[in-house]
Amino acid sequence: MKALLAVRGLRVSLPTATGLVTVVDGIDYDVGPGEVFGMAGESGSGKTISVLALLGLLPDGAVVEGTAMFDGRDLLRLDRRAMRDVRGKEIAMVFQDPLTSLHPMMTIGRQLTEHLRFHLGLSRAAANARAATLLEEVRIPDALGALGAYPHQFSGGMRQRIAIAIALACGPRALIADEPTTALDVTVQAGILRLLDRLRRQSHLAVIMITHDLGVMSSIADWLTVMYAGRVVESGPTANVLGAPRHPYTAGLLAALPHPEAPEDTPLVSIAGAPPSPQARPGGCPFHPRCKYAIGSCAMDVPDLILVGDGRRLACPVDPLVVHA
Amino acid sequence: MSVLELRDVEVEYSRSGRTPVRAVAGASLSVDAGQIVGLVGETGCGKSTLARAAVGLVAPTAGSVWFEGRELRPISRRARSRTDARLQMVFQNPFSSLNPRRRVGDQIADGMAILGLVPANRRRERVSALLEQVGLPAAAALRFPHQYSGGQRQRIAIARALAAQPSVIVLDEPLSSLDASAQAQVANLLTGLARELRVGLLLISHDLAIVRHIADTVAVMYLGLLVETAPTRRLWSAPLHPYTEALIEAIPRADGKGWLPESLPGEVPDPARPPAGCRFHPRCPYAFAKCRSESPPLLEVASGRRVACWLHEHGDAERAPSTFASRTRESSGAGDQVDGV
Repeated sequence: MKALLAVRGLRVSLPTATGLVTVVDGIDYDVGPGEVFGMAGESGSGKTISVLALLGLLPDGAVVEGTAMFDGRDLLRLDRRAMRDVRGKEIAMVFQDPLTSLHPMMTIGRQLTEHLRFHLGLSRAAANARAATLLEEVRIPDALGALGAYPHQFSGGMRQRIAIAIALACGPRALIADEPTTALDVTVQAGILRLLDRLRRQSHLAVIMITHDLGVMSSIADWLTVMYAGRVVESGPTANVLGAPRHPYTAGLLAALPHPEAPEDTPLVSIAGAPPSPQARPGGCPFHPRCKYAIGSCAMDVPDLILVGDGRRLACPVDPLVVHA
Repeated sequence: MSVLELRDVEVEYSRSGRTPVRAVAGASLSVDAGQIVGLVGETGCGKSTLARAAVGLVAPTAGSVWFEGRELRPISRRARSRTDARLQMVFQNPFSSLNPRRRVGDQIADGMAILGLVPANRRRERVSALLEQVGLPAAAALRFPHQYSGGQRQRIAIARALAAQPSVIVLDEPLSSLDASAQAQVANLLTGLARELRVGLLLISHDLAIVRHIADTVAVMYLGLLVETAPTRRLWSAPLHPYTEALIEAIPRADGKGWLPESLPGEVPDPARPPAGCRFHPRCPYAFAKCRSESPPLLEVASGRRVACWLHEHGDAERAPSTFASRTRESSGAGDQVDGV
């Protein structure tokens, strides 16, 4: 399938008190229509910054390199005006906390129709009708009544559905979802995952899903990229990456999860240490200080991300068979 | 004998000009020495309120809390008694529960000083020992909370609770703000405290996977009431309450097999106006006539297992809710929606 979005060599540096700090250090990926592309990794690994860069939402002074071809245009080279047309209309975003992403003092109806009138130039009546349909689409009961209500009148799960409805308002072709279920209960999370799955099947929506929750990734992502300290350490079809992880970091993340069949009082296996801050990333493979398989060269050379078969790319020089022996 | 015991605790919040909310509508729970009790349920089910009532941060409207054989007095302006201080709490967010402007060691030493547990000249030594106990270097005492990651801060908060030599610690979502790897480290630390120091832990969490891994027994709460309590393994292998079953089915599995978790249709109702009969019946795929009119009591159906569900009224001890499916013809068809509402 031809990619809707093709990101190549994306590097992002952010200004700090001590100068520019590279937060995202060269990532590549493709997302096709109807595909869910997952980005996983611990806090501070650069997942969010890398997608904010696509939409031109970084603070002033940020330096972005690389290309991000979306339907023949490079998102990283669009001027403000052109970006405004893409943002919200062709690529929409859903954030972690719907309580802060929705305006507390505006009715749901106004937040939904603002979008429709601005981007699509709909009349008030047409926008209202479309807004009600959108709420029905995300299964908000009593959609007409909901248009006149305020965000606080809804539960967390309903608010996230409303945030998704707003994101879908202008019929975007791609949706970026940044930890969309992290603040929600599992029961509600399951509903949101099913909603996203239905949207990508029915509307061929391309979804970039950011979450640190590998269980969520497993249930919805077709492709999974695991990031560490601004770099991709492993990527490939989700079934392969999670079914048989080959990077010590991916394996470590999976081992840290509670396992249903583990015997009583089995300690969880955690990765020693903590991820480095962007200012203090170690030389060589950024993961080597925490890696139990590290060899001498790991501290010197940054491993290349190379195709290792089964659609998987891996940035690790250690023999994967040794890793999983 | 249980170190901490909650007997029919009710907590009602009054709201000016509106119906009061019974956040906890009668819950009994006990924690033994060295035992880890998990309390799970969705947002708004009253589990945090129950945790606060358990340590005396809110006064129960009815019922009582017993700690080390005596009734616990809710926190007031007066200092807590030395005994009651052996009941400690750890909060969800270590970014706000630690004072950003005081050194880690000073914050840990507070409890010892106030309770007069350790003479001033031995406190530094004791702080070092506590930090090492939670897996941090003794040098951490001289640093500030912002110099630590979320997981390390949560360890500091636990060290501070340990300074009071507690017999029970109530932890409200101690792991949910942490990354998987940090979560694993803190979870292991908690298991160690219970097993080695014989501290009883009441662990409130909405993350069922982690509760399954470390808790000895689990209590499931729905809309202010406990609906099921059981030893962890049996709860997971054979949930008796339909709500417990739904919670378990909703947990995603990180095996790469692409299984979409089951969603529970409907929303948690407004606790100020709970549904009549069983509070879960509007969302229950197995509900029948009786569920709509009568509230099921929490009954012991097998040793150590209690469940509040009319499906188990006649001692059908360990049968899963789905085996009663034939009774559910008259259910409202709540399971039909594509992705739940």
